[in-house]
Amino acid sequence: MNNPTQSQKYDVVIIGSGFSGIVAADILAKHQLNILMLDENMHVGGQLLRKIPEQLGEYASYNPDYVKKLGFRFVQNVKHQKITIMNRACIMGIYPDKKLLLEVERKQVMEINYNYLVFATGARERYLPFTGWTLPGVYSTGMAQVLMKSSGILPAKSMVIGGSGLFLFSVAYEYLKNKGKAVAVLEQTGMMEKIKMVPALAHQFSKVAEGFKYLSRIYLSGVPVKYSTKIVEARGNGCVEEVVTGKVNSDGRLISGSEKIYKADALAVGYGFVPNIEAPQLAGCDLEYAEDKGGWIVRVNDNLETSVKDIYAAGEITGVGGALKSINEGNITAVSILHKMELMAESDYVKNLARLLKERGHHMQFVHFFNSLYRVPAEALNDIPDETVICRCEDITMGDIRKSVAAGYKTPKGLKTATRVTMGNCQGRTCGPVLYDMLGLLTGQPKQSFGLFNTRPPLKPLSVEALAGFVEKD
Amino acid sequence: MVDLRIENIKRKEAIIFTVNGKEVSAYKGETLLAALIAAGYKKTKRSPIKGNPRGGLCGMGVCFECIVTVNGVPNIRSCMTEVENNMVVKIDE
Ligand SMILES: Cc1cc2nc3c(=O)[nH]c(=O)nc-3n(C[C@H](O)[C@H](O)[C@H](O)COP(=O)(O)OP(=O)(O)OC[C@H]3O[C@@H](n4cnc5c(N)ncnc54)[C@H](O)[C@@H]3O)c2cc1C
Repeated sequence: MNNPTQSQKYDVVIIGSGFSGIVAADILAKHQLNILMLDENMHVGGQLLRKIPEQLGEYASYNPDYVKKLGFRFVQNVKHQKITIMNRACIMGIYPDKKLLLEVERKQVMEINYNYLVFATGARERYLPFTGWTLPGVYSTGMAQVLMKSSGILPAKSMVIGGSGLFLFSVAYEYLKNKGKAVAVLEQTGMMEKIKMVPALAHQFSKVAEGFKYLSRIYLSGVPVKYSTKIVEARGNGCVEEVVTGKVNSDGRLISGSEKIYKADALAVGYGFVPNIEAPQLAGCDLEYAEDKGGWIVRVNDNLETSVKDIYAAGEITGVGGALKSINEGNITAVSILHKMELMAESDYVKNLARLLKERGHHMQFVHFFNSLYRVPAEALNDIPDETVICRCEDITMGDIRKSVAAGYKTPKGLKTATRVTMGNCQGRTCGPVLYDMLGLLTGQPKQSFGLFNTRPPLKPLSVEALAGFVEKD
Repeated sequence: MVDLRIENIKRKEAIIFTVNGKEVSAYKGETLLAALIAAGYKKTKRSPIKGNPRGGLCGMGVCFECIVTVNGVPNIRSCMTEVENNMVVKIDE
């Protein structure tokens, strides 16, 4: 990385260095553009491309699956190209005159000017609160995966894995492979519905192969895999010691009397992914609510340009669909920007875009099935007891939320005023997505009609050092 | 103490850091969160309002449940920080 000064200008700024970001950067850099790719994380590669301890900074000896292999090649490419990469960079503000304010390395504040901006901010995990989910030892499936993949550490000696979605199986596989004691794998949605997904998998060979690999290992290990089974409660003295589970009916409601208790040191939970739309929201990009795409997503046209001119969105934030879709959209974004900058001939552009959009169509089909079939019905939220904490930052309970909605606070804004939900450190990233579902359930109104919890700059709490430096220099 | 480090992984150099004054060993390249969990520290903080024990949830910088004090600086997300030799870490009792 060259040494950034206080104010810098780039042709293209890419926010996020996951698959979509690195693919776009790689293509654009081949055209001698001045590119900045920034990420709040410590490494380049986003959610999927994580280094493992054997070869920190060196990916060559690792033999990952096809898609990951491809990804690691992109990571190497962008590191060798003339791309400015900033890690541990957080957005403080996004302004209409094509300007960003960043906090870098927790100490420096920088002003960045751009001609084109690409949001490639990916997705995070979705949560479904249950009693005891605040106990230490309840980990997201992503955290369990990251501990193993980035630090070579098992989350615990024994672990129950539950929630919904294909990712549960990927985590169970990794955990078993590393000699963890998987106590049970629990999928809250039913098994039969999954068969409907088969047609959507036609263009997703790598996903099917991956699925088989996971399932066969789990079954061969003799770990119980239960469908239509939910986590009812995590219990323990100061941290997880046992997990209460139960069967659910087609509405996702607990069938009483079906409870079962598993002893385990940890519980990994995951309920699919939600797009990280906060940065585009701050930039004023139009969002739309699409349950079958993961919730609130960024609205884009065929060029993946957002409602704000010269701002693009690629990857999970336009619909949660995994790595191949992100690669495809990184491509589309690059082609669109190159065309706009008159760096790509019209005929090449038309040909490329048509091919890429056709491929995107297949991915969007997968997005639809993936997000619909693993969606836990909203009615399931009725099972959450009043005492259960929903907003972890502010210790706000399900009862507080029910009471506030009954008292007339029926929108995100109202609920926030009434209860302080989403006003803590995480700014609603953990409970926000499920709060939309709760509001929908409790009011009977469509979610698109409520609007969003507002975002405010900075997107994450800042360090005192960065602020001090900023004020001094101002 | 159970050993949570996965076998057969070639690790970088061994380091020592302290948690509430106690020495803990770890390896370079590990996140602080991972090093804490490997040393048996599941709890990283107490919830600000009711004071209930909390530990890392998301592991990727979103939830702020794994915040600790590092070398005197409070509210550091341990999942977004690499553990370093001689780091002085304080977590809520
Ligand atoms: C925990 C987890 C595990 C996953 N595992 C798999 C898997 O096994 N297989 C699979 O196919 N898919 C998996 N996915 C889905 C994964 O998101 C896609 O496969 C793909 O990697 C997404 O690429 P992306 O570029 O859209 O986003 P990501 O890879 O998520 O990259 C987004 C990047 O943007 C950064 N970022 C976000 N917001 C900001 C901000 N405001 N400022 C600065 N940087 C920011 C993030 O730090 C991140 O590095 C997983 C997702 C998650 C969350």
